[in-house]
Amino acid sequence: MDAKDILGLPKNSLPQEKKPRPQKDSQRKPDGISREVYALTGGLAPLMPAIDASQLKKRPPTDEKITWQWLPFTSSARKDNLQLYHWTRVVNSVPPTGDYSFAKYNKSVDVVKYTDEEYEKYLTDPMWTKEETDQLFDLCQRFDLRFIVIADRFPSSRTVEELKDRYYSVSRAMLIARAPSPGDVSGHPLVKEPYNVSQEIERKRALCMVLSQTKHQERKDAEVLAEAKRIAESRMVTRVAEESELPVPSNAAPESAERTSVPGDTVSPSSNVQLPSAAVAPSTATADNASTLASLRMLRVYLRTYALEQMVQAASSSAGLRTIKRVEQTLQELGVNLKPRVPTKLVCAEHLELRKEILTLLNLQKQLQYKEAEGSSFRDGSYADTPGTPKRLYRGGDQDRTFVPDMSFGGERVGKRDQKRKAPGRLSEAPSSPAQSKRPRKFKASDL
Amino acid sequence: MYGGDEVSAMVIDLGSHTCKAGYAGEDAPKAVFPSVVGAIDQMEVDDTEKTENNSGSAVDSKNTVRTLDSEKAKGKRKLFVGSQALGFRRDHMEVLSPIKDGVVVDWDMVDNIWDHAFRECLLIDPKEHPMLLAEPSSNTQQQRERTAELMFEKYKVPALFLAKNAVLTSFASGRATSLVVDCGGGSTTVAPVHDGYVLQKAVASSAIGGEYLSDCLLKSLESKGIMIKPRFSFKRKETRPGEFQTVDMDFPNTTESYRLYSQRVISSDIKECVCRAPDTPYDESAYSNIPMTPYELPDGQTIEIGSDRFKIPDILFNPSLVQTIPGMDNFAEIAPSVRGLPQMVIDSINRCDVDIRRELFSSILLAGGTASMQQLKERLEKDLLEESPQAARVKVLASGNATERRFSVWIGGSILASLGSFQQMWFSKAEYEEHGASYIQRKCP
Repeated sequence: MDAKDILGLPKNSLPQEKKPRPQKDSQRKPDGISREVYALTGGLAPLMPAIDASQLKKRPPTDEKITWQWLPFTSSARKDNLQLYHWTRVVNSVPPTGDYSFAKYNKSVDVVKYTDEEYEKYLTDPMWTKEETDQLFDLCQRFDLRFIVIADRFPSSRTVEELKDRYYSVSRAMLIARAPSPGDVSGHPLVKEPYNVSQEIERKRALCMVLSQTKHQERKDAEVLAEAKRIAESRMVTRVAEESELPVPSNAAPESAERTSVPGDTVSPSSNVQLPSAAVAPSTATADNASTLASLRMLRVYLRTYALEQMVQAASSSAGLRTIKRVEQTLQELGVNLKPRVPTKLVCAEHLELRKEILTLLNLQKQLQYKEAEGSSFRDGSYADTPGTPKRLYRGGDQDRTFVPDMSFGGERVGKRDQKRKAPGRLSEAPSSPAQSKRPRKFKASDL
Repeated sequence: MYGGDEVSAMVIDLGSHTCKAGYAGEDAPKAVFPSVVGAIDQMEVDDTEKTENNSGSAVDSKNTVRTLDSEKAKGKRKLFVGSQALGFRRDHMEVLSPIKDGVVVDWDMVDNIWDHAFRECLLIDPKEHPMLLAEPSSNTQQQRERTAELMFEKYKVPALFLAKNAVLTSFASGRATSLVVDCGGGSTTVAPVHDGYVLQKAVASSAIGGEYLSDCLLKSLESKGIMIKPRFSFKRKETRPGEFQTVDMDFPNTTESYRLYSQRVISSDIKECVCRAPDTPYDESAYSNIPMTPYELPDGQTIEIGSDRFKIPDILFNPSLVQTIPGMDNFAEIAPSVRGLPQMVIDSINRCDVDIRRELFSSILLAGGTASMQQLKERLEKDLLEESPQAARVKVLASGNATERRFSVWIGGSILASLGSFQQMWFSKAEYEEHGASYIQRKCP
């Protein structure tokens, strides 16, 4: 303050003055109610916007005279001029004008209308006569497209799907016929997605099946499935040794998909009553799968894709993660899928072989590098013209008789053979089982 | 959108047991009286033949005579309507019902009933009020046209609407889609309602109603030796303060139908007081040792009712029980097609489209006088849970108030007629004159 005085700046009292003012405002009582009453509320304004207190004492404007009279009215929603009576609020002896306030709720659906010529041109159908089609459209107009009620009132017994099909196909035909160009209406929902009768029938049939199972049957089914699960579990215990061939339940049996859809349906309309049965349903699905698997295993059947994976894992268990990645990289460079697209026996066998050979190649390369490193450390001191930077390995031509070119020989051969093998791999006569290695040309890392 | 608008419409529900009439917008009908009439054929002296035939003879021949000379006989027959008029015993008064098997057979009686309701009970002039009538869920075109003719020609109403019972019950509970189980006096009807329209192909009905159960109870008690004396047949004299002595009075000219009617009044009272729906299907041996409930008859006699308490309501669920009651030989008429109530519900639902079945299962409404029986709702729910598919959630709804259950049709009509958006749907006199009575089929779906 003194500093400002010295400098000659004006005293800034504005922001300071504003602060006490809002505080003072809240302590004043609002107009319209007495001080004591306001104090009852605690002296604070209510949180919710309450009725403005000044409005409480407002009286209706005295210049208007309001009476209630029993007067007739008409409604624009009616086609005749029926006059019913009701109480109306009359202001200054002037009855209210305007339409009946509920007439605006008179909505109806726009049902397409066709003339006879249009019917002859576009809409004839062997299954439907003109009278029936006319009747259908009349009912659609009356009942606002409530197809279930229309099917109920239709004179001959047609199903809801047939009626819907006829209505939508007629509407669609009329829409397309009346449009100036097909492009105009292609965006219309009727044209884009026509009514699919067979799908509807199928859906309703499935729903019917779901709903027709009584509780008695459900209980019996649950008992049988629980029994099956028990048996399956006891079998599983005895076959622990063959666990490596255990297929994953999600892959198993498309035939169980249908069974899972039925418990799925029962689970989705959730309710407390259904919980015990729903708990039974998923377990019955897995029990189903378990029993299916048990039976399959008995026949010595297994899924090739997983068997392959297991074998690949077993083969590459000796190698580290990085090596596996390099194997996969090499496979990709060669243009081979990491998982064969058509997992037949031949293809899987070849794929496994390929993987093993690549693994061997990489191992050998690694060995070579080590040896090279050793060799180079010797080379610094000696003159010997030991050949072979690794680069020379991949050039064709004369092979030196040192053991390094021997490796190059083997390595090159492996590389060539791989590329040659890739294309006719599926057609060549391959050994019957991947477990038997009958290739004499193959170099194993252990040979070194 | 659901705003109300009073146009002072009247709502009339002519049921097989009682007729309910009142103003729309109210929560209960003002006029409730039995929908049977007492008829005394007052033949003139010059028609002596007819007089001999008619007095004291069976109802059947009377009916045939009446139909043969319908023109003359109608004018000569005096009808008594209303509980007060019926309560007073008169010589040669036959008690007749205009409705048989849900269908109106005698329009003259219906006319009289309406007249009684308008002029004597409600004190209105029909010319000023639009009328909403409740009709059975499976009414024929001919009946509707006849109703329209009678209303417009005789009573000159400004506007008319015929609504189905099931739809009105559904509206009374605030639902547009539901399955209505109407356990009324004359019959039990199961009707599905979808979006405010009855699905007529799926309506199921059986002749076992409240009156049938009262008859069964009457016969059962008679077979056990308990005679129910109608009120007119005795007089109680006070011999000492607090003690009464019953004196039998004999009225030889009382018709059989009137006697039966008075007995039925008493037995339906017994039924309403003591009968309960059993939790499990009725079994003679299981209920043989049940403790008896006492009930005092109007003549002072106290009777004990034991297994009948549970047997009679179980007839709704298992109609073949009737055969065990001696005296009910007319069961053969309604046998073999009659099924129990849960079976009718399931059949009705299965006849509907698959898409709405679940919704119907979860909103089953109980209505009607017989539905006020104790434990009926619980028993029905239990039976339905057994037989229904597991995927559907079964829920039986009934309003807790007994009055609401009895009058649910009337209440639904009251709601409907006072809606603002309903006022465009009336079938007016001008339309009737222009298009004729058959236009009602279009206007009142």
